[in-house]
Amino acid sequence: MGRSEIRIAGAGGQGVVTAGRILAEAAILCGRQATHSQVYGPQSRGGASRSDIVIATEQIGFPLADRVDLLIVLSGEAYEKYEPELGDDSRLIVDSGCTTDSSNNTTALFPVVETARSISGGLLATGVVALGVLQRFTEVVEADALRSAVARRVPPKHRDMNLKALEAGMDLVCVAS
Amino acid sequence: MNDVKKYLREWAMPHVLCPGCAHGIVLRSFLEAVDQLQLAQDQVAMVAGIGCSSRLAGYADFCTLHGTHGRAPAFATGLKLARPELDVVVVTGDGDGLAIGGNHLIHAARRNIDITVLLLNNSIYGMTGGQVAPTSPEGTVASTTPSGNTEPPFDPCQLLLGAGASYVARVLAATPTEMTKVMADAILHPGFAFIEVVADCPEYFGRYNKAGGGAEMLTQLAGRDTGVAVQLADKRFVNHIPSSETAPGLQTGVLRRETRPVFSGVRGGGDHGA
Amino acid sequence: MAAGCTFFGGYPITPSSGIAEQMVRSLPGAGGVFVQMEDEIASLAAVIGASLAGSKAMTATSGPGFSLMQEHIGYAAMAEVPCVIVNVMRGGPSTGLPTSPSQGDVMQARWGTHGDHPAIVLAPSSVGEVYDLTVKAFNLAERFRTPVIVLYDEIVGHTRESVTLSPSVEVVDRVAPDAGLQNFLPKAAQANGVPPMSGFGDGYRFHVTGLAHDERGFPTEDAEVAGDLITRLHTKVEDHADEITDVETFMMDDADIAIFAIGIVGRSAREAVGQARAAGAKVGLIRPVTLWPFPSAEVAAVAEQVDTLIVAEMNLGQMIGEVERAAGQRTHIVSHLRADGEPITPSALLDVIESSSRSEEGS
Repeated sequence: MGRSEIRIAGAGGQGVVTAGRILAEAAILCGRQATHSQVYGPQSRGGASRSDIVIATEQIGFPLADRVDLLIVLSGEAYEKYEPELGDDSRLIVDSGCTTDSSNNTTALFPVVETARSISGGLLATGVVALGVLQRFTEVVEADALRSAVARRVPPKHRDMNLKALEAGMDLVCVAS
Repeated sequence: MNDVKKYLREWAMPHVLCPGCAHGIVLRSFLEAVDQLQLAQDQVAMVAGIGCSSRLAGYADFCTLHGTHGRAPAFATGLKLARPELDVVVVTGDGDGLAIGGNHLIHAARRNIDITVLLLNNSIYGMTGGQVAPTSPEGTVASTTPSGNTEPPFDPCQLLLGAGASYVARVLAATPTEMTKVMADAILHPGFAFIEVVADCPEYFGRYNKAGGGAEMLTQLAGRDTGVAVQLADKRFVNHIPSSETAPGLQTGVLRRETRPVFSGVRGGGDHGA
Repeated sequence: MAAGCTFFGGYPITPSSGIAEQMVRSLPGAGGVFVQMEDEIASLAAVIGASLAGSKAMTATSGPGFSLMQEHIGYAAMAEVPCVIVNVMRGGPSTGLPTSPSQGDVMQARWGTHGDHPAIVLAPSSVGEVYDLTVKAFNLAERFRTPVIVLYDEIVGHTRESVTLSPSVEVVDRVAPDAGLQNFLPKAAQANGVPPMSGFGDGYRFHVTGLAHDERGFPTEDAEVAGDLITRLHTKVEDHADEITDVETFMMDDADIAIFAIGIVGRSAREAVGQARAAGAKVGLIRPVTLWPFPSAEVAAVAEQVDTLIVAEMNLGQMIGEVERAAGQRTHIVSHLRADGEPITPSALLDVIESSSRSEEGS
């Protein structure tokens, strides 16, 4: 059916919702169908936050992830909550700052939060760094489409910083592989 | 006095008001004010809630909206924002405007939307059978306070002054000429204009509290008119309840008139609220 | 706005606030007016006031705010004031699960206000359909002079997806009176049961009330006149139900199992039907796009066809009674419910389909 389900989960303030929106837009720029839905708590900062992105070649029925193909977790809380829901053939990207169950072979660890902090001095670019990792890791969307979507979706004054965060995310995969 | 019959829906008579009720006098004063100002009859919108006072709108031959209990200022806000050229006048009562509708009234005042509110205060719920109201003085006998009201009342004018109304006045139903003058003045005021009309309810308030019929009640009210010069005093006028205060007076006239930006909603042309 | 909306009055409530936040940006530049009122009661009152002034007007809210609006939904039905109310459903009762999806207001949308009244409720399942059905809601509101509710859940409300908007939409406007000023009867219905409507300030002077009233719009206690009015308020909608009703069916041609679902659950079901078909099950979907008037004839036809009708809803069983009434004894009905703030997923529905198929084979 050509349907990919990607879930980005983390804490409020990490830019998880924005990252999901950027990814869905990049997929649409690549000529595919995409939906983005967010699950969030009452907090704008802190608390759990989640983006579900469904990318498909045809019209999308259910717009949330049902059987997640790729899960990116950016906080320990998100790991605890969503890792157990993964199927056997799902892939998992985890921020290396999280404590994980080492017996899980499908896990790839990247220092997403640390990289974002070194670029932005805070948490806000975390989601965009994760998108860079995701692009190199899966190539579910083309790098240029992702660059355009980032440029379109973040405020002009943060554009350069976010583009840098995206490249840094991509580089994390090159260094690791 | 002018002939104001052209502003009445005679086909809608007889009206629902009781003998001795001053609401008819209030309506006449309002119609006189409209006539004095020569307002276009089809550009006047009267918006009312629920209660005796609100029924007045039905007898006036304008565009009239008899809405829901307490919500007249909210209906009027939408109406005025959508069609600013209308002269929008809200007719409400003490229960309608200050109990169930208190929130809408204070917010309309705060925004300074360009409407005129006539609050006919008879200190009781007339239409529903004489229950206690938020303006019933302490001690008032009502169908829901058979042993006398123990709650302190609102002073409507003080409340609206506190809410930021740019025009606040009090008039007595017993002094119709003055009432007409203030009403015309209030309609011309750019922004939110509030008039408390102190009225009677001989059928319930008068009967339950042995305050006499309509004529007696109005005479008594007129006797307590202190004009604007005297400090606002407690409005206790129930005879059989001794007041710890000195003789209560009723401060009448225009208590505030100020100019501030008129609310027009968020709309194009850069006049956001100004 | 494509439908001609020029007035929005609202009060913030999750998860519907995004609509107000967009309207305040879009309306002023297009000649419209936005106002944030002091509560939901006032919001719908302002909308009704604006509609009486001749504007097409709307508000948007969610569960608890929708409850506060019920007073004026009844008023708009009685006074016959066109308006559109969007309710983005969240978990209830009370404050409940404010950021989670639910379909807990499907009966409130029908019966929430007091008294006997007609109801038109549209239930979109996607961003594109929210657009189309909001336009339709305005058109129906204007045509029938009645409040129209657009009802969807938090997921539809917060999903972003690509949409294709029609370059032009059909727009229906209220019918203006053609009687002279002296002969105008504001509540005299045309043959279709709907009275022409004048705005305040258009020249006609008339009375509008929530009390039972006669053709002059003036209060009456005459039983015959009041009875005729209440009946007309119903028949003006019910007599045209077939023109309002809209039902999506998917893979129903040879289905012997069907899923009945609205909104987001309808999309979940569509996905499940596709997957079950791939595995060889003869499953189909019936999704009411207009929830009220209820598509009884369409449900009855499906019930006649299938052996099992699965009713899936994100509440504890609100629509099933209506489905059972329409289906009669024609089919076996299975209820699948969820009310914990989480959506009904395609996998969950696949399980229900599988167990239904097994029990069919076993019987």
